[in-house]
Amino acid sequence: METMTLQSGMEAPAALLNEPARVSSPAGAAASEPLSVLTLAALHAVGWLTVSNFIGVGLAILLLWPRAGAWLAPWSYGRWMPVHMNLQLYGWTSLPLVAWLLKIYRADGGGLARWSRTALVLWSLALGLGSLSWLDGHSSGKLFLDWSGYVRVFFPLAILFLWGVLAAAFLSNRRGEGNALRWLKLIGLVLLLLVPFALYAACSPDIYPPVNPDSGGPTGASQLESVLIIVLILFLLPYGVSRRIAARRRWLVVSWVVFAAEGLLCLGLGRADVSNNRPTQFISLGSLLVWVPLMPAYYTSFQWQENTRRWRMAVLAWWAVLIPTGWCLFLPGVLDRLKFTDGLVGHSLTAMAGFATSLLVLLLIGLTGPEDNVFASRWAFVAWQAGTGVYVLIMLIAGWIEGADPAFTMVPNTTRNVIYGIRLCCGMAMAAASAEWLWRLHLRLRAAVGSSTGYAFSTARARAQ
Amino acid sequence: MLRPRGNAVRRGENWRGIVLIASTYVYFLIFAQFGFLKRLDQIGIAGEALKPIMAAMALGGILASLLAARMKAATAARRLRLALGGCAAAAALSLLPLHSAGFLAVSLLIGLSLGGLTVTLVAHLRLWLAGGRALLGVGAGAGIGYFVCNIPQIFAAPPQRIALVALGACACGLAASLQTEEAAEAPVELPERKAAPFSLVLASLTALVWLDSAAFFIIQNSPALKSGTWEGAAHLWRTGAVHLAAALGSAWLLARRGTSQVLALAFACLAAGCLLLLDPARSAPAAVLYPAGVSLYSVALVAFPSLLMPSVTQEQRSRRAGWIYAVAGWVGSALGIGMAQHLHRVPPWFVGAAALVFFLPWVLRYGRVYWREGAAIGVVLIAALAIEHMLGDDPAAPRAAESGAAAKLAAMARGRRVYIAEGCINCHSQYVRPHSPDVQMWGPAGNPEAIRREDPPLIGNRRQGPDLSQVGARRSPLWLKIHLIDPRAVSYGSIMPSYAYLFRDGRGDDLVAYLASLKSPDSLSEILKQAAAWQPPPAALAQAGQLNGAKLFSEDCATCHDSHGYARTRWGADFSRLPPDLAAARFRHIPRNQSTAERRASLARIIKFGLAGTDMPGHEYLPPDQIEALASEVMAMRQGR
Repeated sequence: METMTLQSGMEAPAALLNEPARVSSPAGAAASEPLSVLTLAALHAVGWLTVSNFIGVGLAILLLWPRAGAWLAPWSYGRWMPVHMNLQLYGWTSLPLVAWLLKIYRADGGGLARWSRTALVLWSLALGLGSLSWLDGHSSGKLFLDWSGYVRVFFPLAILFLWGVLAAAFLSNRRGEGNALRWLKLIGLVLLLLVPFALYAACSPDIYPPVNPDSGGPTGASQLESVLIIVLILFLLPYGVSRRIAARRRWLVVSWVVFAAEGLLCLGLGRADVSNNRPTQFISLGSLLVWVPLMPAYYTSFQWQENTRRWRMAVLAWWAVLIPTGWCLFLPGVLDRLKFTDGLVGHSLTAMAGFATSLLVLLLIGLTGPEDNVFASRWAFVAWQAGTGVYVLIMLIAGWIEGADPAFTMVPNTTRNVIYGIRLCCGMAMAAASAEWLWRLHLRLRAAVGSSTGYAFSTARARAQ
Repeated sequence: MLRPRGNAVRRGENWRGIVLIASTYVYFLIFAQFGFLKRLDQIGIAGEALKPIMAAMALGGILASLLAARMKAATAARRLRLALGGCAAAAALSLLPLHSAGFLAVSLLIGLSLGGLTVTLVAHLRLWLAGGRALLGVGAGAGIGYFVCNIPQIFAAPPQRIALVALGACACGLAASLQTEEAAEAPVELPERKAAPFSLVLASLTALVWLDSAAFFIIQNSPALKSGTWEGAAHLWRTGAVHLAAALGSAWLLARRGTSQVLALAFACLAAGCLLLLDPARSAPAAVLYPAGVSLYSVALVAFPSLLMPSVTQEQRSRRAGWIYAVAGWVGSALGIGMAQHLHRVPPWFVGAAALVFFLPWVLRYGRVYWREGAAIGVVLIAALAIEHMLGDDPAAPRAAESGAAAKLAAMARGRRVYIAEGCINCHSQYVRPHSPDVQMWGPAGNPEAIRREDPPLIGNRRQGPDLSQVGARRSPLWLKIHLIDPRAVSYGSIMPSYAYLFRDGRGDDLVAYLASLKSPDSLSEILKQAAAWQPPPAALAQAGQLNGAKLFSEDCATCHDSHGYARTRWGADFSRLPPDLAAARFRHIPRNQSTAERRASLARIIKFGLAGTDMPGHEYLPPDQIEALASEVMAMRQGR
């Protein structure tokens, strides 16, 4: 058994890193079905990831050759940016979590499978219509909450439809489950019901979160709140894609206790426009450092599927980078220099392309089963991870220079062009990796339903179901 | 060199087919459909006088299409060469200063020759294209044809030069058809697939040509649409590239998905394009969808009768090709132009009716299986429409600015919506951080309470360009307008894209009004205080000596201050005061009693911070040594070096 030392000095959890536990595929049955709901969800998610990545490559080209924008007018850089960012958030990041919910509520099989597929189609339809509306100049003016006009209603309705499928699955499956699980699922359903309404409300121009007056960005309390929500999601994800190890219950308990304490701290900080120069803000945010060792420890309490070792290592590595750098970037002096620069773009990449993508791939492998793992390609793994790593590094360098000379990225110069050229190459590597995964998923689904008819319109299969 | 019988196309000679298809398309598109009309316009034939001439062309085309299918007098290659010769003769005759009757005869000749050429070519295409890549050859030929027609030097050429291009196309076609030996046609290797019924393809192609012709006529005769679609070299190159890519894609899809799916895709593109053309502000997506749809079906128009029709005799193939070109090609085109002339748009009901031709078979086939899911999706789509209509709020929609309900909004408020719609927030912040270098660059710092009251605050999170919260105090409306239209004209090396299209319908002026309003009450006095207090670091002067001041001047100043500068010559009449000749004019903003060193320092401050209330912008982003080098350069110019 191999071990590894993390930055914190903690001994790497063997079960998480190196033990190819023979976990029977939780999605085994579903994976062998044609048009498996979970594999279809993976296809939608990776499809949007790929589209978004290629748009990102286009945006990187525009920064190097801005005159190319004349070819695209009026679909300018500014109109493509929300498409790129929102497809990452609501497509790639969200759809694997949707698949996880369908799995947890057991809506991925039986009579509800067709409605789960419909929910996925509605979700993607909303993203497609949303993309068209952003390109057409409809936006609320709020980053990541750009839903405006028709799609501001349609997307929450699509989420509500998904909720209906989950509720129906809960009602039809509740008899076979224990009391505790049933209550947990019911609470989950109640909370999920708030999501579409909260999303609609959050897109309103009238609502704006607290602002750090010294940076114009989020406050420490807001960031603490956001990270704790992510921690909560991380707590829940292993259920359904791995098996709990009873002997390692201790870390689960410790983690939940710490989480509760952090929640109280968050409540105590309140919601106000407070500067990051206040010690209470950056010290409170520093409390998140405890999760650098604790989250891997939590994950050691679960047995994971084989064939996922490299992705588990990537999750741990990015997590170990993400939390400390996130905190450092909030510190007085550092935030003053890097706010509004490429440095923060680099940090966003650490979160989305580094940590979140590694985690989501791990999740999708768990959901779709280890057989015929579509994420097994070594070159795609290396292209993605190396592309992200170099991207983050050069953006931090660019941000640091830009902090001292704000005109650095606005006026073309050799250093800036070289950095942006490298960024373009990294983006292309990442886009190629996602295209490889999409192609593998396509082949897998085609093999499942037969190549002659095509899986999208396989009437014979649909009749058989 | 003769080819062995029974093997009409030797390996590697598919280029002949590609050239013939490309030549035919070039002739039809750039001359018969476009350049000839320009020539008539040039001669002064328009309006009612035009109708009989165009009717003669259509009549000739229909007749020749139907008759060519029955011609057996000569070999196919000879008939093809004869038709090409007729085409060439018509192009040459169009160069002469003829009267209406003469052009009527030329028009008839174009129709007869083109009708014969197209039907003969597709009915016997296997003489020049064969093997597994025959479909790709069709795609390449059509794509190249469309691409050539969109080369700006050809598209925008006078009619005489277009006629010469058409002659060149005929010559290429003739050269490619030489040494063709009549033989049993070569086999074409295509994947086995259930062939689309002839009647359905004929109806589909007629609808597509109808839509295509109507859309082309509408764009060509509407300046607002034309400027947003294929006016200007960039648009034309893009259109040509889309045509070529779509044509190759069409060939690829025809081999894998069959004729029906390609025609349905073509319809989806063309129908969406026609609907988008109802609103000139949406012409940009139409400019991509329209050529994509046209190329998709154009490849099928050649490939179906020549390669994809179910096994038929040569005679049947010729007759069916004749019907396709007579009905879909000539009649469909005439109907489309007629619709465009009378209605000036493609009505949505017509698009809906045409959709039935394409999608009803699929709806019936898959609807039986997926009707529940389809109904559920339909219910959600309609429910969203009803709720959105009920709530009726689209705070950031640019369309609202044009509707009556929002017409009362001030230009600044509309400009703010434009700012949001264009995604300016993705590159520009509106938040000057207090006690930071932002203040000197873009300040003064704003009031957080006032920012919070905005609906919504447009703070942004990434600066790919400067902060704009005080831009109204630092740049004049004229500078903002020039910068939005042609960023690099007034900001050397700017990476901002051009927003010239916003000025076609007033949105640009609204945006300028909004940007000019971005200033706080004390911003002007604060900037003056900053400028007065500014001192370059002592090292800057020494470093400035090593810089090329003349080069910096040409990059940052000459556009306004040089008598041949771009901004000065293009926008001279719009300046509140023409930028002075810095070598000779008196400095109005620098006291005369200052010493040379003081004057130099004052000049450096003006270069750095601009002159508030005038069109002179600051150059806040230039480092001190470059500011000093520019000041030295101007002083040297005044002293005659």
